[in-house]
Amino acid sequence: MALMKTVVREKNVEEKLQQHSEENVNVFKAKGLNLWYGNDQALKNINLDIKKNGVTAIIGPSGCGKSTFLKTLNRMVELVPIVRTTGSINYHGVNIFDTSVNLVELRSSVGMVFQKPNPFPKSIYDNVAFGPRVHGIKKKAILNDIVEKSLRSSGLWEEVKNRLNESALGLSGGQQQRLCIARTLAVEPEVILMDEPTSALDPKSTLKIEELIQELKENYSIIIVTHNMQQAARISDKTAFFLNGEVVEYDDTDIIFSTPNDKRTEDYITGRFG
Amino acid sequence: MIIRGQFDIDLSQLKEEIMLLGSMVEKAFEDTMMAIKEKEYAKLDDIILNDQYINQLELEINEKATLMIAKQQPVASDLRKIIVSLKVSSDLERMGDLTVDIAKAAKRFKNVEQLNGFEDELQTMAEKAKVMMTSVFHAYRGANVMEAQKIAAMDDEIDTAYSNFVKSIFEVVAVETGVTEHVTQLAYTSRFIERIADYCTNVAEWIIYEVNGKRFDLN
Repeated sequence: MALMKTVVREKNVEEKLQQHSEENVNVFKAKGLNLWYGNDQALKNINLDIKKNGVTAIIGPSGCGKSTFLKTLNRMVELVPIVRTTGSINYHGVNIFDTSVNLVELRSSVGMVFQKPNPFPKSIYDNVAFGPRVHGIKKKAILNDIVEKSLRSSGLWEEVKNRLNESALGLSGGQQQRLCIARTLAVEPEVILMDEPTSALDPKSTLKIEELIQELKENYSIIIVTHNMQQAARISDKTAFFLNGEVVEYDDTDIIFSTPNDKRTEDYITGRFG
Repeated sequence: MIIRGQFDIDLSQLKEEIMLLGSMVEKAFEDTMMAIKEKEYAKLDDIILNDQYINQLELEINEKATLMIAKQQPVASDLRKIIVSLKVSSDLERMGDLTVDIAKAAKRFKNVEQLNGFEDELQTMAEKAKVMMTSVFHAYRGANVMEAQKIAAMDDEIDTAYSNFVKSIFEVVAVETGVTEHVTQLAYTSRFIERIADYCTNVAEWIIYEVNGKRFDLN
């Protein structure tokens, strides 16, 4: 009996250790994820482990479910009222669909940057300080620190430090997008979801954001949806190819862009369809 | 609508140009060996001169491939096709150079009757190399891995023939006088043929890489 207990205890320890090590490697674990908009199924049996502190790119033709999947990771997708999901997405050992999950906490920990820069019609400072203020930080000195740190991390500090009180809308498109990234960083997320973050930007601003993503991946897990396959090839560590709501292939980016396993992946990345 | 139709046309044109380069090398090699066989050494000068067209075409292929990479940003099998076209054209150009080397060596041949048997052996080796060339070009055109893999066995045959040839021809030097220059040129020629066969094997390896994405050492 004592032996049984020891074995059970060792098994529990082993499971916990395994879970712990998985958490060290992966930030999300989607299992059997299905999603419907009304009667239309947009995601079909998605099983994906998203790497921690890395860049994961999601590629695929329009309507393949890649943005839906991204927005599912912080449950933003539920802003559409007719959405229904089954399956699970594990985040820190908890299924994000559990009723116990606090959505405000989830979304501050899993931040999002959108296709078009969407700064608030406020000053540069207030844009970045917005999130921390919502979270109850009032002290000016702390807010100043957060604003500077976030703007430095997004590579914008040197460009705006002397005009923090000017309207954010006066910034260029690329600067606005980096401001939105700073705004996301200000609430200290662990994950940053990016939905085509450079599709509205010129080539130089695009490269700046790509450089920034490379820097940020040291401390954040980044998941990026992009239509620009060269971008996915340039910046990501892992790439998932979505088609008709399914994951056709998920592998190291080096493999996806050199020797993909599935003919559909090959056809898509070589521009033969989509 | 076929997406990337023009790019596909460009890719097949690139392959056609490499096939053309291959046929130029093949013809130069064939003509060289025929001139040696018929002892029409004057013809060798034309072959040496015409090598510039082979070099020129290789440069054109390189430029075309470089432009395709710059303008189309190919990935996966498309990229491999272009990379392989660069590699294969470079191997073909080297085969052209080796053919020139054979022609130059043959111009130094002396008429030594007791070595005629060795000249026949050279022709046999060259025929095998010629079969390799034809097979490997055919495999390249059809991106045929099975055919490419068979090239290695042919190369082994030529390697053995080469080492036997060199061994036996230098035994002649030991017993005959005044044959050293001719023997040396014959040995060089056999070496050049053996190198041409090696380049055929290289091309075969590139065919496998183009199709499978994996480098494969056939030697």
